[in-house]
Amino acid sequence: MKKVGLGIIGLGYIGKMHLQNALILKNAYVAGVADMSPKALSSAKKLGVTKTFNNYVDLLKDSAVDSVVIGLPNHLHLQCAQMAAESNKNILLEKPMARSVEEAKEIISVTQRNGVRLMMGYPLRFNPIYRGLKEQIDDGSLGDVEVAHAINITSGPFFSREEMHAPVPVPDWWFNKELTGGGVLIDLGCHLINLLRWYFGEIIDINGCFSRRFKMPFEDTAVCLATFKSGTLGVINVGWFSQEVKTRIELLGSVKDAVVTTPPSTPLLTAVRTLTAGISRNRIPFLNELQHFVDCEIYNKPFISSGEDGLKDLEAIHKAYTNEVLLQQE
Amino acid sequence: MSLVSLVKIRGNGKNSIKDSISQSLNLINYSFKKEALNIVIKPNMCYYWDCTTGQTTDPQFVAALIDLIRERVSSDANISIVESDASAMKCKYAFKMLGYDQLSKDYDVPLVNLSEAKYANASFTAGGQSFRFMVPDIIQNADLKINIPKIKYTTGKIKLTCALKNIYGCNPFPKKYLYHKRLDEAIVALNKAMNFNLCLIDGLVVSGVAPRKLGLIMASTDAVAIDAAAAKIAGLNPNTIGHLKLAEKERLGSSKFVPQGAPLDYFARRYPRRSGRKKIMAEAYRLLILTKLNKKLGL
Repeated sequence: MKKVGLGIIGLGYIGKMHLQNALILKNAYVAGVADMSPKALSSAKKLGVTKTFNNYVDLLKDSAVDSVVIGLPNHLHLQCAQMAAESNKNILLEKPMARSVEEAKEIISVTQRNGVRLMMGYPLRFNPIYRGLKEQIDDGSLGDVEVAHAINITSGPFFSREEMHAPVPVPDWWFNKELTGGGVLIDLGCHLINLLRWYFGEIIDINGCFSRRFKMPFEDTAVCLATFKSGTLGVINVGWFSQEVKTRIELLGSVKDAVVTTPPSTPLLTAVRTLTAGISRNRIPFLNELQHFVDCEIYNKPFISSGEDGLKDLEAIHKAYTNEVLLQQE
Repeated sequence: MSLVSLVKIRGNGKNSIKDSISQSLNLINYSFKKEALNIVIKPNMCYYWDCTTGQTTDPQFVAALIDLIRERVSSDANISIVESDASAMKCKYAFKMLGYDQLSKDYDVPLVNLSEAKYANASFTAGGQSFRFMVPDIIQNADLKINIPKIKYTTGKIKLTCALKNIYGCNPFPKKYLYHKRLDEAIVALNKAMNFNLCLIDGLVVSGVAPRKLGLIMASTDAVAIDAAAAKIAGLNPNTIGHLKLAEKERLGSSKFVPQGAPLDYFARRYPRRSGRKKIMAEAYRLLILTKLNKKLGL
């Protein structure tokens, strides 16, 4: 059986998760990992990774690497994707695709020029509960979905308060809009916009209403109103203000309604699940996503979430930023 | 025995807070000295969690205190708000996110990041351990130093974060975790180094197992006494809190206190204490970290 050599670029929170998942795939192996942090590379070695690089340029030169998973800060996506494409590596790129529509177009252009494949990392499409909703929409059991409410509220890059944890440092780039490309809408909104586009087709129009509870130069709450090709009206609500993580989709159909909520988790619950089942519940969608990426490479199948999807999501996000609705405040 | 006042705030807004602070100071017979022209205020800004979480001091509380000081001392009093960088928190972001940038503009008071301020090195001992700290000039030279802690549970053996622990944030050295192995001693030595005069607890929202609006304001000139009272409110035995016991042994204050004002039991009954289940979960997770199983599992 052909095995795909994966290179993991960036070993932050999400890169570490991809690495753990890559290590248990049957038709792939970890050909190498790259990160600037010696500590992160040392942890990877402890997990069994033999080749580690302190920069991704060297990893991309390694012929054992067939494909790369890019989990870097937003401002590094374009440069890294360009180099990966020019090194003929297929790419699984973490969301958001880039900081701007222009950057996203450049990424697509360079992958096309070099004949490499590009998949976007959108784990909600690989989460069994949200796939279940897709099936209900497609088989007509909800009727026409008139309204879709999509909610994703978290503490964002700022650590949520749980009594068993000490705060963790937040990298400086998170506070710099130039480096992130935006606030919560680009960070979390892209997940929901991507999911609703998968459910209801392209976005016809979208506007956004934003607030800045933390007085930073980017929004930490966003409510968007969008119309979809199917005729569905979508309300997209994302925030970085809560100590409690909530991801919830509510579909109001002409036949019946459907509601799906990601069950909450705690560090202890995650540990127990990892001990008993070998994998925690929040890792499963990411595992499915990586498996899909590897399978598509081996069997030359189209990706469920392509680079074009990432571009369309960013176009919608930037349209919402442009079409900001200013409501009167006290 | 030291006096510790407990006041239940009536009403909402800055003026109610100001009246309650004033009442809490009267109950301990405290009056500001007119000659105190250089004043330092140390709120608790442990992370980017805003005051609704009960983890950080409400800027409105500090605003009310500034009003009171300007009224009672002088409108020209030189007031500074101080905090320092920590491994997981940078003042430049926390000041903005927690509302202190706005307070600074509205009240024309400087925000001082102690990690970037001038200092002099000095040695202090506590519990037989010797420490060399950077003591910021602004604290060293202040006529009046006011500590505004929160009441909250802390992970590990510290158990309670309140007045004594809040002074840990006056240490300009950002890598504070390096003191964690001798934390009780470091906290007490830092309290000796910084030598604060007055504690005012912002118990508007407290953080036990979850945040709760308690509407409590406490005052004392004795950090040990006020911590002992806070521990009782949080359902903890002050004699089991290492840094509190050590602070008393080192004569920083007395854990025996005379409560003034509202009954302590009123607040103790309402404090969001840990349930047995939560305690077991916290212990289980602590065990996970102690055995390094969390790292083995890649968590």
